[in-house]
Amino acid sequence: MNILPQLILNGIIAGAIYTLVTLGFNLIYGATKFFNLAHGVMAAIGGYAMFYFAKTLGLNVYIAVILGVVLVGLVGFGLDKLIYRPLRKRKASNMVLFVASLGAMTTLQAVIAILFSSQFKTLSQNFGTQKFFIIFGGTVTQTQLVILLSAVLVMAGLVVLLYKTQFGRAVRAISDDEEAAQIIGIDTNKIIGYVFFIGSAIAGLTGILVGFDVGIEPEMGSNLLLKGVIASVVGGVGNIYGGVLGAFLLGFAENFGIWKISGEWKDAIAFALLITFLIFRPRGIMNK
Amino acid sequence: MSKSIKWVIGIVAVVVVVAIGYFVSRGPKEVSEVPIKIGMVAPMTGDLAFMGEGIRDAILLAKENMSSTKYTYEVIFEDDQLDPKMTASAVNKLISVDKADVIISFSSVTGNVITPIAEQNEVVHFGIASDPNVAIGKFNFIHWTPPSEENKVFIEELQRRGIKKLGVFESNAQGAAAVMADLQERLKGTDIEIVTDQVFNFGEKDFRSIIAKAKNSEAEIYLLMAFSPELEILAKQMKEAGINTPLTSIESFELSEQVALFEGDWYVNAADPTGDFADKFKTKTGKNPTLGAANGYDIFNLVVAATEKIISSTKPTPDQIVSELMNIKDFSGALGNLSIDEDGLVVSKAAIRMIKDGQPVSVSE
Repeated sequence: MNILPQLILNGIIAGAIYTLVTLGFNLIYGATKFFNLAHGVMAAIGGYAMFYFAKTLGLNVYIAVILGVVLVGLVGFGLDKLIYRPLRKRKASNMVLFVASLGAMTTLQAVIAILFSSQFKTLSQNFGTQKFFIIFGGTVTQTQLVILLSAVLVMAGLVVLLYKTQFGRAVRAISDDEEAAQIIGIDTNKIIGYVFFIGSAIAGLTGILVGFDVGIEPEMGSNLLLKGVIASVVGGVGNIYGGVLGAFLLGFAENFGIWKISGEWKDAIAFALLITFLIFRPRGIMNK
Repeated sequence: MSKSIKWVIGIVAVVVVVAIGYFVSRGPKEVSEVPIKIGMVAPMTGDLAFMGEGIRDAILLAKENMSSTKYTYEVIFEDDQLDPKMTASAVNKLISVDKADVIISFSSVTGNVITPIAEQNEVVHFGIASDPNVAIGKFNFIHWTPPSEENKVFIEELQRRGIKKLGVFESNAQGAAAVMADLQERLKGTDIEIVTDQVFNFGEKDFRSIIAKAKNSEAEIYLLMAFSPELEILAKQMKEAGINTPLTSIESFELSEQVALFEGDWYVNAADPTGDFADKFKTKTGKNPTLGAANGYDIFNLVVAATEKIISSTKPTPDQIVSELMNIKDFSGALGNLSIDEDGLVVSKAAIRMIKDGQPVSVSE
């Protein structure tokens, strides 16, 4: 029965990755109320930025990570300033914003493929030979532990930011009612811009970590975003804690779901979970 | 003979010579002005670009080495990145815009996309693919070592090494499915058992749970049936999970640009190309032939050989080319003596190879 510890560990690691995606997604959704499809491509930009800084320019790995994360944050901020904010100013509907984000996602993916080619690349220096640890009978790699630690730290940081700072109060106010927030003097455009920066930076970090664990390709963000959206819906869209719960539930469902059946059912299990919640509990596990 | 009669004879002789010269040069020149167009659809960018480029170089080599022909031949290359959506778009362009007479494709996934299109448009299609469905129809052919040949050699090697428990990781793709279906059938009646068979979707990146499931199976060897990059990620995650059991494959290892990951592992592949082809390929490209290159070379030469047998004052039609192709027996190709059977399959042999010092090498008997 030594498969059980491994499945639990695999579920936790998958949950940690989905948590990182969901945190950024929910943060942006909470403030703007639209599904930002370009959130996924931010992960890809993070991965490729890391590739460029660390492998092409030869920078120190830690500096490359910081630069990569900041760069992605700036791209997200730029997208808001150049595309979403003008649309919000014109009172565009959420559908229009959704379509605009689809255009942004497609364009950015194409740019990545042109600049770096669509060939799969790895960020890890020691592909296939990195350190691994045995925990309660299951195996976990160094990179996976970093992913887990990052998820915990990012979540803790976000909670502190949202609930212990003035900025966080402003974000929550906008999330509750943007108009009312404007009336009381909150510069909503500026705050939303910062939200895009932070949310995109988290997505960029996700892309970097996934790049180290598995590798990078221009379309890598699409699948991550899909899982992030499923986790958000399951946990409660716009709810930070709900998103984390949904992410781990999804991670466990996928890994335990294929324990007794073929691995090709993994994605089907994820969608079955989504549909189940949409039908029976559309507001998710935790209300906003 | 009077002077005037000599003049008449001389003028008649000149007219006859000019007339003969005009009609002799006019006939074949008119026919050969309209080239036979051979299109190739293969990954020229992306993870398997090195294979698409190898096949392209082999076809160009075949064209360069062509002796004088009645008809002219033109080759057109289209990139599909091994994406079926791009394959459909590329082949429609080759047929509607370029008016291709013959199409060469690489892989079962994309070959299956082209097969019905080729049949509907009556264009000759040669797939470098293992799935026999690619050869369905009058106009479709396959030049690839068939699963039956590969599995025969594979099972013999397993028996020779005394392996009785086989673990399998297979991609949910047509080529792998065709090989596995044949393997499962052939294993009946032997003492070799498939103790675990883990299937995963194309594009999967997290294999850890299915690896955990397989780890309990006590397999003596694991058969990996996957394309890059899933193949490399799977091998890496198996190592990380502490699986040191030997790995093997049918074709897959040579689909990887990181063959060093499989150092010391044996596998089954198409038989080695002839030394003559390998030398010519290396002279042209500076590299050894990649998997599928010899097949591309042979396909071009088979098409030319079949077309040259057609006697026609106009450009041969794909229908005529198909008729002549079906008559080909014992054709001397880069992969040995080739014949096309009634199902449109060009049968070639399989061989055991091994990754040694980061390179695929043949294992002597």
